[in-house]
Amino acid sequence: MTPAEAEQLLYREALALDRRDWDGWLALYAEDCVFWMPAWRDETTPTQDPDSELSLIYYHGRRNLEERVWRIRSGQSVASTPLPRTVHAVTNVLVERTEGDRAFLSASFTVHRHDRRAEKDHVFFGRYEVETVRQGENWRIAMKKILLLNDVIPTVIDIYAI
Amino acid sequence: MEAAKCPNLALQTAQFVLSEYRVESQMTIDDLSALVDDRPDEGIFRIHRAIFDDEQVFEAEMRAIFEGGWVFLGLSSQAPAPHDFFTTDVGRVPVIVTRDGDGQLAAFINSCPHKGSRLAQTMTGNARLFVCPYHSWSFDSAGRNRNIKWKKAGCYSAAFDRDGHDLARLPAFADYRGFLFGSLTAEVPDIAEYLGEAAKLLDLVADQSADGMELVPGGVSFTFDANWKLQLENCSDAYHFTSAHPSYIRILERRKEAPDTATTRSVWENNANWAEDAQGVQGGSFSFPHGHVLNWGVMGVSDALPLFESADDLARRHGEARRDWMFNMRNLTIFPNLQIAENASSQLRVIRPLSAGRTEMRTWCIAPKGESAAARRQRIRQYEDFFNPSGMATPDDTVSYENCQRGFASRVDPWLQGYGRGMGASSPAGNVFSDSIAMQPERSVTADAQLCDETLYHSYYREWRRRMTGAAQ
Repeated sequence: MTPAEAEQLLYREALALDRRDWDGWLALYAEDCVFWMPAWRDETTPTQDPDSELSLIYYHGRRNLEERVWRIRSGQSVASTPLPRTVHAVTNVLVERTEGDRAFLSASFTVHRHDRRAEKDHVFFGRYEVETVRQGENWRIAMKKILLLNDVIPTVIDIYAI
Repeated sequence: MEAAKCPNLALQTAQFVLSEYRVESQMTIDDLSALVDDRPDEGIFRIHRAIFDDEQVFEAEMRAIFEGGWVFLGLSSQAPAPHDFFTTDVGRVPVIVTRDGDGQLAAFINSCPHKGSRLAQTMTGNARLFVCPYHSWSFDSAGRNRNIKWKKAGCYSAAFDRDGHDLARLPAFADYRGFLFGSLTAEVPDIAEYLGEAAKLLDLVADQSADGMELVPGGVSFTFDANWKLQLENCSDAYHFTSAHPSYIRILERRKEAPDTATTRSVWENNANWAEDAQGVQGGSFSFPHGHVLNWGVMGVSDALPLFESADDLARRHGEARRDWMFNMRNLTIFPNLQIAENASSQLRVIRPLSAGRTEMRTWCIAPKGESAAARRQRIRQYEDFFNPSGMATPDDTVSYENCQRGFASRVDPWLQGYGRGMGASSPAGNVFSDSIAMQPERSVTADAQLCDETLYHSYYREWRRRMTGAAQ
């Protein structure tokens, strides 16, 4: 995977979320993907084993992401209706290594959120670790770990704000 | 003497006293008491909106409730080994809970007697010696002062030497079966009296493993811009579930229709608790003195619960009735700041009020020690789904709290109407369900799926009023 391809993939994902192009977002993920945002054990150490430690989000399988999208679209979640406005800025994209059809990326992110209803602004920030897999002509996300650094959550955090 | 030499200081002191007096004079005890309109003989219970958004009420709550009586500190298993410690807050006061070299737990004000600096600055740790980062006074894990830097060269007065220099101990500290409580005043009843019969509900948590309970590594903190009592009420609120969480309920239904290995099984998948047309007794509520309450629902001994692997063993050790209660949905509040919610999974919450309109929640997955890896994994997945601020249910609660807080600004119609359901169903003492575990609540309600008792909140506000009006504990 070239650095340009890695950037394109992560920028495309960010744009899909900011545009609320949920189907476009889901299409970037492999069916058996892992989507993982660890919690923190203490001030300095994130949780590392999702089976024995708590995560903020841990999903194995795209179906879980489809459920999250369904909830956002459903109109049945007051936390998601109306949605706040967001913009992702993804930087420091690095292809750390490539192994055959797989590549391992890292990047940094900030997500600016403006919640007009609550009259509040917030910035979430952290790092991504992403494993991609080549499927035909396309690279898809096989694993995305979102290391959220400011983890005292103001009221709500959802898949569109990380 | 000192003030006479410095007239400006005397003047400032007088102004300070004056301003303190002004604050107090604006909100009298009669005013505070009037925020709770409790007339049981007339079938009236109403709460005034000011109880949630008035900063003077908040200041008085901090003094009278959070800094004036028992509050939950944490679990003894958060400091398992000698010299382990964890930090927390009692009201606005930083506190350290440490285990000394002999294994004894104690709680101290986390503040150096020298200049007031916080000593321990981390959530948890292990320290034989706490060395103040500011001027290096040091204290051992039993709170004893071990060194004052350059003491001899310091030319202290004899009076200084007569003073104690140890860490200030919390005036009251108690360990009830691993649940640790502390108070900034010694004027508290014995912890057994304070918990009363509600202690039997803590037993249902503690007894789920012969080894006791632990917090799963990884705590989650979140804030909401609303009053802490909204969290107090929501935990006990059966009425909101189908209104606030339909997206979560629909997702559970979709999983049930098309089960696979990718998604998490829900404890509610075979349960009528949230089904509006369920027949018969579905649960109810119990209230206890001192503001402790339980909202509960019939759950059944289901293999969708991680505890299922221990079902037979628990029945053998504690009897079937207690075992069955361990499987029931139970939302317990120990007033004022501890909630243990065992419904979609098992959560321990500590409520930390920050201001009248802002609250921090510190939350953990609480689990029986020694459960299998598969059960632990299931518990964690169920927890993340429902309880996290990044999950599919809690945000729909906290956003609603914030909507309430906005609405509390009104004084046009100051009396809230959210305390009336169940007024005709609440009975003194317990019922057949509490009898089955020999528990004697002060009041009880037996409910079908739609009763959704609101009288259990009355306990919160009766205790609130008792404490706020200066009643001896």
